[in-house]
Amino acid sequence: MKLRRIALAAVAGFGVAVWVFPVLWGLLTSFKTERDVLAYPPVFIFTPTLANYREVIFGASSIVPNLVSSFIVSTAATIVTMIIAVPAAYAIGRLRYPMKRMSGFYVLATQMLPPVGLIIPYYLVFQKLGALDTYGGLALIYLTFALPFAVWLMVSYFEDVPHEMEEAALLDRAGRLRALWYVILPQVRGGIAVTTIFVFLNAWNEFMFAVVLGGNRVRTVTVAMFNFISVEQTQWARLAAAAMLAMLPVILIGFFAQRHIVKGLTVGAVKGGGRR
Amino acid sequence: MTASQGSVRLEGVVKRHGDTVVLRGVDLAIEPGEFFVLLGPSGSGKTTTLRILAGLEELSEGKVLMDGEDVTTQEPGERDVAMVFQSYALYPHMTVAQNIGFPLRMVGTDPGAIRQAVADAAAKVGIGHLLDRTPGQLSGGQQQRCALARAIVRKPRLFLLDEPLSNLDAKLRLETRLELHTLQRALGATTVYVTHDQEEAMTLADRIAVFMDGRIVQVGSPRDVFARPQTVDVAAFIGTPPMNLLPGVWEGNAVSVDGHVLPLASAASSARQVTVGVRPGDLRIADAGLPARVERVEDLGDSAIVSFVAGERILKQKTDRLPLVQEGDHVHVAFAPAAAHIFDRQTGIRL
Repeated sequence: MKLRRIALAAVAGFGVAVWVFPVLWGLLTSFKTERDVLAYPPVFIFTPTLANYREVIFGASSIVPNLVSSFIVSTAATIVTMIIAVPAAYAIGRLRYPMKRMSGFYVLATQMLPPVGLIIPYYLVFQKLGALDTYGGLALIYLTFALPFAVWLMVSYFEDVPHEMEEAALLDRAGRLRALWYVILPQVRGGIAVTTIFVFLNAWNEFMFAVVLGGNRVRTVTVAMFNFISVEQTQWARLAAAAMLAMLPVILIGFFAQRHIVKGLTVGAVKGGGRR
Repeated sequence: MTASQGSVRLEGVVKRHGDTVVLRGVDLAIEPGEFFVLLGPSGSGKTTTLRILAGLEELSEGKVLMDGEDVTTQEPGERDVAMVFQSYALYPHMTVAQNIGFPLRMVGTDPGAIRQAVADAAAKVGIGHLLDRTPGQLSGGQQQRCALARAIVRKPRLFLLDEPLSNLDAKLRLETRLELHTLQRALGATTVYVTHDQEEAMTLADRIAVFMDGRIVQVGSPRDVFARPQTVDVAAFIGTPPMNLLPGVWEGNAVSVDGHVLPLASAASSARQVTVGVRPGDLRIADAGLPARVERVEDLGDSAIVSFVAGERILKQKTDRLPLVQEGDHVHVAFAPAAAHIFDRQTGIRL
């Protein structure tokens, strides 16, 4: 038994180390000078510097405007996604209508398309519409990716709420809308939190569409980071500092919502386990 | 609430789910203030009937009337009925007080009046001290009471209870059953109660409707249903242990079972194939009758259940007469001629 636990800890520790290593490496790099970054063999003892952070926050290549851009696009996409996804998921989860199973599959099927195949068509359409390099345009794209996923995830939460609870609310004279508001939605608030976080993070971390459909005005932080890599030189230390800053909101969200996220990942694993 | 409120009628109610027919034409009249039990095996349509009364289930044909008013197409919230679900369906994110007060809050009752009504209802079911807890912090019995309080708080014209005791342990079930009966008498509200437990039905009901296969096969007082089951299915369903059923030929004042002649109280006009039913309590050991071997004696302390093997059949006797027979004894079993229930072999209908 003891041996088993040690083995388990070793395996888990190895897994964590693999995941954490690039982050730690990035963190170290962000405090190094460019000289130290390129030193071979790599140096682990060096004089840390805040110059990289100073540069990416206050300097000429400041990523603060890009953080703002990312925030605007991600927030807009997330809010609109959730406003549509929650009622849609309720309808799919609760109401009976013809072809329900097929529509559920259709929602998932849209996720199976490789996004790269859509970039050129989207670019052409956006060009015609004048939607290139706009907040609305990029948010719309993220909406289309996030919506099927958000609906699908929310459905599983709604399905976990017992029908009888809603029926009790109907008999208690709540009517369908107030039953949804007072009884059903409070049961799925964990699910709403998880879905919101996932949708936000996906938009926040997205790169490919941002680089193609964005521009000088709407340049998200992932694209800005990419600009530290150029033909002549890659500014690894600044790139690392920018990456650490871009990770900050993600880490904060993860830290505060950890409990919900784990539940969200395991929803449906145990019947009814994801509810309370 | 006045005594004239709370009458319920179902007229020709049919319910289909696709190709399956759940209810095949149910007619029912429930009097104001009555404790009315819908009894039947699972899948017999009793819960569907209750849900139709609640307005949670649309019906395919027929009408639902309450106090003479046609409510067939009314929403659940418009019918002034309250329901206790088998799972209780408490709102887990609300406290007990908020749960009980919810139906009042939904119609805009002012907070002071809600507080008062909640306190009254909670006191009636003995959970006045638990108002600040959430359902997750309550025991099964307390949850059940909370659901009950939520139903009685608004003084509806009709209570619907869907197997409300089935999730309680045996001892608590007996206690709650008594309390439920007292509570219903005190409130005087019409109550429709679904159960598959015939003992619950017998002890609680003013009248019982026995459901079999989507139909009501008998309506009557518990005593009536027990003493004069209208079909062989009802006879077999009601009573523990269930009634002994013996196929035989009824001729004159007797029935012959496997060639053994047993006297009956009534005479057949001509010989006919019948099923004779005898309650375990009516079976006795006699000098003559069906030869049988004692297979098993279950001693319950103050009484005993004896299983006999007679030919290929197993017969059960419930007796309080001691000393008991021994397992393996060879005896004869018989019954008082008047105690036999006679049913047509083909149709199962009481003769």
